[in-house]
Amino acid sequence: MSGQDAASSAAGRGPRPELFVGRAAASPQIAADWSRRRILLTDLRAVRGRAYPRINGLFREKSWVFFEILLPFLTTSAFVFVYRALQAPQEYIGFVVVGGAMTAFWLNVVWMMAAQLYWEKDQGNLELYFAAPMDLMSVLLGMALGGMVMSSSRAASVLVVASVVYGVTFEVDQWLLLIVVFGLTLSALYGLGMILASLFLMWGREAWHTTQLMVEPVYFVSGLNFPVARLGMLGALAVATIPLAVGLDAIRQLAFVGSDVALLPPLAEAGILVAMTAVFTLAARWSLRTLERRARIEGRLTMRWQ
Amino acid sequence: MSQTTPPAVPAGFGPLRIPGWAGFDPARPEGGGLRAHWRGFATAVRIGWATEANWTDPLLFFIYSVAKPVSAALILVVMLEVIGGASSREYRSFIVVGSALWAMVLSGVAGLAWSILEDRERYRMIKYVYVSPSIFLVVMTGRAVARVAVGAMGALITLAVGVVLLGVPFDPLRIDWLLLAIVTGLGLVAIVSIGVILGAIVMQTRQEAWSYPEAVAGALFLVSGAVFPLAVLPFAVQLVGLLTPLAWWIEGSRRALFPDGISSIGGPGSAWLELSGTVEPSNLVTVIALLVTGAAGTLAAGLAFRASERRAKDRGLLDQTTGS
Repeated sequence: MSGQDAASSAAGRGPRPELFVGRAAASPQIAADWSRRRILLTDLRAVRGRAYPRINGLFREKSWVFFEILLPFLTTSAFVFVYRALQAPQEYIGFVVVGGAMTAFWLNVVWMMAAQLYWEKDQGNLELYFAAPMDLMSVLLGMALGGMVMSSSRAASVLVVASVVYGVTFEVDQWLLLIVVFGLTLSALYGLGMILASLFLMWGREAWHTTQLMVEPVYFVSGLNFPVARLGMLGALAVATIPLAVGLDAIRQLAFVGSDVALLPPLAEAGILVAMTAVFTLAARWSLRTLERRARIEGRLTMRWQ
Repeated sequence: MSQTTPPAVPAGFGPLRIPGWAGFDPARPEGGGLRAHWRGFATAVRIGWATEANWTDPLLFFIYSVAKPVSAALILVVMLEVIGGASSREYRSFIVVGSALWAMVLSGVAGLAWSILEDRERYRMIKYVYVSPSIFLVVMTGRAVARVAVGAMGALITLAVGVVLLGVPFDPLRIDWLLLAIVTGLGLVAIVSIGVILGAIVMQTRQEAWSYPEAVAGALFLVSGAVFPLAVLPFAVQLVGLLTPLAWWIEGSRRALFPDGISSIGGPGSAWLELSGTVEPSNLVTVIALLVTGAAGTLAAGLAFRASERRAKDRGLLDQTTGS
């Protein structure tokens, strides 16, 4: 019998039940015995609750909007001018612009997924997450969904502005595949973000330095401004492990038909992204549980500024 | 009745006599001159270095510190290789030197601002630093210098990688060491000045200001000729670049290291050529321009920081955390 059923039968026959955590039940144990439906609904509420500030706050903090669009745009512009100085074909300017738009997602994964639990620990919120009656995966999923919406608006702005300013024209034959690949890239990216978030649960100041390490080196091996195939074996390794690398390679092939410098066909890369999404999500769940237990044992969950 | 004479105690200090206390030092609230400032500065540098470096072992710290600038240089080198062309080899030295020097700019520009934000928002120590006998600007500059040192390490390694692995020509006998020493000294002052201006700004803002230094560095990156000659930019943007000390510092450093290399300021189609009638600035002109723009920047930084400090004190901003 579920807790809710027990509570109602107790309410019908026995003495008047008391309120335990907002529920009428005969005892705290019965009140704490939740049905599957209730658990699922609570977790979904947690997902919505964690996604809410990111979606609702999309344009609330004006300085964030400005800087989140300006920073990738400035970086993109610098690389565009490098190609112009080299008198590169216009196609390469397009590569840089697409890469620049995708940096909005990668920066969001690094700063607002991977490092988020570390910031929460620093601000004293992490213990509240653990004390709340929900699965921590719901928090990560909420962060990911909110982050995707938030970054999409930034990426779209960078893409539109940079395309107009630098005269980029896209040639797309397979819109559906392009949309699917883009969606898969995001799911794989945020799956990786969930794994990283659990790793950051253990870390102190090294978290900050690790986020720095995950920007330029990842841009380089992912071929952010050039076709990743040019990196040879290193590029192949990146395509096999980093969603940004494989996603960018596929998106470029689909957005600029005729570019002949890809590592694999788009369909094969879509398959890699599906596999990455599944593996990263499962690994994130395992990693979160394992590292949470370890962090509890070592007392790292509430340790700040070390 | 005889009265025993108490030991000689200076008027007003009697109640403060405690065992082991050497007495009140009237010079303390007035400051101890240059020596005390130097001590405060050196201590701040040590603290800054510890904050930056002691979170891990030296080898891992070294890897973390150089990975970013080396990767930034490699991105550009691969871009260059992808396009190829006749000027590829000459341009490789240009971008390796530019991206190596930029590692120092990033650290220096962000250093002081991030130190203020860290001390106020995360460690919540800024008020204690402020009430210490040291001058606030001196202490915060010390913290920034520690970050510049980390950036300089990254810059040196990037140059070494460029020479050893990427085929950047390096001939110690052809380097103009005097010019290099002069522009490096002036350039460091200019970098720290920009950092001080940003520090003055973030003292007034909330913790969202973390991204300000990167945004400013990103904007300066575009107009400094770090990885492409200014000539590819629109005329008006080139003029902005000519007003920044960083453009002259990078130009001077390149001229010192590769006297026959590509100029980031001059060249065909550049604003410099149009305004001065010469293809590129001479060494002397480069140094004078760096000196003038750097001095203007330093003066502006001093005034801005002073005004910001006063306003922060008036409004209680030093004791305010703005966690979001």
